[in-house]
Amino acid sequence: MTAYPVKAEGVLGSDHRMGDETFIASLVACVAVGLFLIASVFVPNFFQPLTMLNLVTNNWAVISLGVGVTFLLVSGNFDLSVGGVVALSGVLAVWFAQSADGNNALSTGLGFPYWLAIVCALGGALAVGALNALFVVRFSVPSIIVTLGTMMLARGIAQVITQGSQRNTNLPPEFGILGNLTMFGTSVRLPVVLMVVLLLVAIFIEKKTVFGRLTYWIGANPVTARLSGIDRAKHLTYLYLLSAGIAGAVGILLASEFRSGYSNRGTLMEFDALVTALLGGVAIAGGFGSVIGMFFGALILAVVTTAATGMILSPDWQFILKAVAVFLAIVTQTWALARRNR
Amino acid sequence: MTGEQPSPILSVEGLTKDYPGVRAVDDVSFAVERCTVHCLVGENGAGKSTLVKMLTGALQPTSGTMRVDGSAYQPTNPHQAREGGIATLFQELHVVDQLSVHENLTLGMERARFGFLVESDLDRRVVETLAMIEPSIDPSARVSSLSVAQKQIVEIARSASSGASIIIMDEPTAALSEREVERLFGVIRRLRDSDVTVIYISHKLDEIFELGDAVTVLRDGKHIATKPLPEVAGRSELIEMMIGRSVFQDYVPRATVGDEAVLSATGLNNHLLKDVSFHINRGEIVGFYGLVGAGKTEIARALFGADQCSGEIRFKGRKIGGSPKQAIASGIALVPEERRTQGLFTTLTIRENISVMNLRRLSDAGIFRSADERSAAVDYVRKLSIATDSIEKHTEKLSGGNQQKVVFAKCLFADADLLLLDEPTRGVDVGAKTEIYEIIRNLANKGTSVAVFSSELEEVLGICDRIFLLFSGALEAEIANGPDVDMAHILNVVTGGGGSVAP
Repeated sequence: MTAYPVKAEGVLGSDHRMGDETFIASLVACVAVGLFLIASVFVPNFFQPLTMLNLVTNNWAVISLGVGVTFLLVSGNFDLSVGGVVALSGVLAVWFAQSADGNNALSTGLGFPYWLAIVCALGGALAVGALNALFVVRFSVPSIIVTLGTMMLARGIAQVITQGSQRNTNLPPEFGILGNLTMFGTSVRLPVVLMVVLLLVAIFIEKKTVFGRLTYWIGANPVTARLSGIDRAKHLTYLYLLSAGIAGAVGILLASEFRSGYSNRGTLMEFDALVTALLGGVAIAGGFGSVIGMFFGALILAVVTTAATGMILSPDWQFILKAVAVFLAIVTQTWALARRNR
Repeated sequence: MTGEQPSPILSVEGLTKDYPGVRAVDDVSFAVERCTVHCLVGENGAGKSTLVKMLTGALQPTSGTMRVDGSAYQPTNPHQAREGGIATLFQELHVVDQLSVHENLTLGMERARFGFLVESDLDRRVVETLAMIEPSIDPSARVSSLSVAQKQIVEIARSASSGASIIIMDEPTAALSEREVERLFGVIRRLRDSDVTVIYISHKLDEIFELGDAVTVLRDGKHIATKPLPEVAGRSELIEMMIGRSVFQDYVPRATVGDEAVLSATGLNNHLLKDVSFHINRGEIVGFYGLVGAGKTEIARALFGADQCSGEIRFKGRKIGGSPKQAIASGIALVPEERRTQGLFTTLTIRENISVMNLRRLSDAGIFRSADERSAAVDYVRKLSIATDSIEKHTEKLSGGNQQKVVFAKCLFADADLLLLDEPTRGVDVGAKTEIYEIIRNLANKGTSVAVFSSELEEVLGICDRIFLLFSGALEAEIANGPDVDMAHILNVVTGGGGSVAP
């Protein structure tokens, strides 16, 4: 591994203008902060440290899912299955951990030790990811169709296991620990800390590693990528496994938090994750976007919905507000990018 | 024909088309007689397609006039050309696979009453036309069940029944088998007998002698001759008119060509290639020359592992051909035919484009060394004098020549021992062309082997040491480049005249 000889770069290398991704991420961050300030003016008691913290902590699940979805979008592919996987892995974790001697079907599980139940539930999530990869990569089915199918498949399996109801009895006492463990003597729980770690690792992978760069190349032009020696099949397989793995972990943590397996958990989360990524400036056609942008996109969505419920509007208005935010944000980004690159 | 001189169906007077920096068609005048098959020949870049685009209204001439049937004809779009009586059969077919033959024939001309389709005489007319030119096609058959040749005939029937008096056919036999070609010729002759004039463009000279009544030769945008075919003394006269004496040569024999084969291919076969075998030596520049569809790109892609084919490819003694990834790892790089869709990441910067083929040189344990990537990009921008003010410029904003240099930089950065260049100077301006040839020579002088796949004879004669001539998927001949290379022989082989010069 010989280092490339570093030479004087002169004027060619001295472009200190920020890249388009940084530009958009900064723009999204400014919008998020701006919206927060506007909300603070109108909503009483909004401008408080606790509110800011809650904006992040209440959305740890969607932000975590957004990481996997963002990587896939950048590579030019959708993952709509994450919400279904959240439900499936949670239900599987509960079912595997329930003791085998319950007095009815819904309170009888497989009686695995808790650690094994988690590993197997994660395995179930990864199996969905592998199925996505198989169809997208080997059979070249458009990813939006494949993951729409696995979205329903995963939730369907969860529904069969819970018989359309919940499983929440006969669980070992340690089942509720992971999702409710508070950290560092504050009210911040373990899942939020894991989300922060995930974000940091994802940003590092995206900016500093070959893996991150391969994702952009494949998304920018899959044909050129192949003719440049990139193994698209392998890379997309990793990305689908990564996304399903994250969704599986989210599902297990949510099941632990509520001490139950519920087949409707995570409903619409796949769309929230997608909207979050798009709000954050990720291009739906691939090849462009960043995890930091997605994070601020999630904050925009959180500010809008939280502020709404604190204002005169009833929570019924949250979908309409989300819609307005999405349209405005995406029109602004397109306009700003076109202006900048004129 | 009556005894008196019939007026020509189409006449062109002083037609000229300028592009920035180039005169694609230069003061061309000729006439096409009524009810003939009039052939149009010339090398690539001779101006044939520009001329056709002006006739069909896709381009407007800079100056000059066209007359159809004696009256002025100035189409500004293909629709007006149709109304003026000129229809075109393009290489890509415009038929709708899901509909029946009959529905295709009447597409866009349906009669409706209260929103419901009604029968009209039009229906009868198109069916009659089809039955006249090719009775074997069932009007109720679904178009998707037809062969390429039959689809072409459906399209011809549509043009004929819409009242076109002139049908232009651009390389209609490129995708047809020999028997289908015969059938198409039958259709064309029947059209001629039923008062339709055909303007026929082809590179295959045998077809022209078999089918044509008259021929117009273009060269470098200029009109060279229009003659009745019986007055043309064989292939050699036609070829001489096509190349003239204007092909200049700046090939200088190189001393550094090794005699050790670095790549050998044996018996390559696929849907197009027919038993292709050759070898390439160290430090050698070999050319693969042939017309469009002769199999150049197929050979390049097979060597690179981008398409599968049977046969054996050995590079430096090892079997290859599995995947582009494997080819790059063993030291082969490809500059693909279409730079924007296959060679570049147009939405990314120059820096992000140059690094992609050699990640090992820029990373430790999967972590990118950005500083090295920047230095490498700056280095190659300088080496190839890519005109840009920054390596952070998006490649979509560069000119064609500079884009192509970025693709070259990408491949050079891969440290390849064999470079495959598919149409390396297509759409590149003259200045950048010369620079690219210089880059190729320098590489070869340092021991890199280069294979140039080109449909420009001038390019192949200018830089290659050895030239393989291709015709419809077969390697027909191999010649050594030099001052007394026989141009007529080359053109004869690549237009289907076989390994030896036909009379």
